[in-house]
Amino acid sequence: MSRIPESSPPVATTVRWRAVDTDVHHQLRDISDLRPYLSRYDWQRLDEYGMPRNSNLYQANGGFRGARADCFGAGNNVDPRTRLDLFQEKLLDGCGIDAAILQGEYTPAVMALADIDFAASLCRALNDWTLAEWVGRDSRFRLALTIPIQDPALAVKEIHRLGGHPAVVAVYAVCGSPRLYGQRYYDPVYAACSDHGLAFALHFSNEGIGMNPAPTAGGHPSYYAETYLLRPQFYQAHLSSLLFEGTFEKFPQLKVALLESGFGWVPAFRWRADATWKSLRAQTPWVKRPPSEYIRKHVRFATQPFEDPEPAAALASVLDGMNADETLMFSSDFPHWDFDPPDAIARRLPAGIRDRVMFETALETYPKLSR
Amino acid sequence: MTGAARKPYPVCPVAELPAGQRRIVTIEGKSIGVFNVDGRYFALRNRCPHRGAPLCEGQVVDFVTATKPYTWETQRPGEVIRCPWHSWEFDLTTGRSLCFPDTIRTTSYPAGASSAVESEKIDTYMVTDLQGMVVVWL
Ligand code: FES
Repeated sequence: MSRIPESSPPVATTVRWRAVDTDVHHQLRDISDLRPYLSRYDWQRLDEYGMPRNSNLYQANGGFRGARADCFGAGNNVDPRTRLDLFQEKLLDGCGIDAAILQGEYTPAVMALADIDFAASLCRALNDWTLAEWVGRDSRFRLALTIPIQDPALAVKEIHRLGGHPAVVAVYAVCGSPRLYGQRYYDPVYAACSDHGLAFALHFSNEGIGMNPAPTAGGHPSYYAETYLLRPQFYQAHLSSLLFEGTFEKFPQLKVALLESGFGWVPAFRWRADATWKSLRAQTPWVKRPPSEYIRKHVRFATQPFEDPEPAAALASVLDGMNADETLMFSSDFPHWDFDPPDAIARRLPAGIRDRVMFETALETYPKLSR
Repeated sequence: MTGAARKPYPVCPVAELPAGQRRIVTIEGKSIGVFNVDGRYFALRNRCPHRGAPLCEGQVVDFVTATKPYTWETQRPGEVIRCPWHSWEFDLTTGRSLCFPDTIRTTSYPAGASSAVESEKIDTYMVTDLQGMVVVWL
């Protein structure tokens, strides 16, 4: 029989949440960061050939090298993605972020590797390094696991290896993929996410890289600006796949976060999806409810890059048409060049849904966040 | 039901509307589809609530359903009419839409329900075999 302690421990004070940032991007300082987390053979290979790179189709991004120019030090030689102190100063402390979910800058290239075993080794090392060197140094960080999604069996192994870690709240995947994510090939990944209560976080990248289809359904645009503008279309393709393949019927606990997809398109997509389903329901009869209902229940969108509708009053109807009080979550994309600070976003939101967007929906979507 | 107020309108001799067949007739200015579903008669207003298509000229099909993804099962053979224009499906036997789950579950509409909800059900009429004639009651 357990003894009742004479003085009970203090009741854990409920965190007074201000903001959860669902999308930030950190990076290795150097490949040697990974050395302690790799086998001797894998380290030798990494040392010899360097980190895999996904070829940059445009030799351009935005901002300065894709990041905030104000975050580079003098000489511009230190990548802000590699500086934990900068995340603390400019984001966590500076912006009042209570929890920030790390989606590694290194992830896309690893997910484009055809050599799945080396990809799996790198994923393990990158996750272990992040947990030790970022999460281990500031408990406000959480991790979306990097997984070798190109091979679901290996991906599942990694999810089971770390899915129980208290700071691991999601699994990270990129939109560029040889297959649409609703296809049954990926079901084991969703089963593993469901086992551990992890959200599946989908973020652009890798479109047109390696074995993946072009960045737009119409082919390869000439300029980075076009791919930036056209991003919603490949999120839509994956979302449609998840809906019509019945992924949410198969995995009723699954939450999918679409990060950096924009959200102005969501109401129109829902109308169109429901109209399509009403007409063609019999072809996929396992889709029991109008698609918009699955979206409301299972799919979440991030605020960045926040679209500023014109006229400004149109924002209200977009928020209304996507049930933003249930489906929209704050993200900053720190330290990328198109960063959105939380105070500016909070100001744009109607007061009635501000807390929902800034932290409450994130706490529901990533149930391990608040544990 | 205000059966007493209804009047019988003969459509055709029973022999001319065999199982699986339909007839479209105009009664009191309304176009109405009369169906023989495996020996049972049903009559529906020939107007789709969506965009006004001649609903009863659509294909008569089974209800396709699934207990889990990647399976297809047919139920209720010949009891579904698929609109010829945008393929909305309606239950021939009740006039109810099969693509608005909430209205499938409801058996009666609350007073003052929005027209969007009301429109998901088609008017149906009683059909009987009266002395060898198929008769619609309006
Ligand atoms: S008119 Fe019947 S479904 Fe559109």
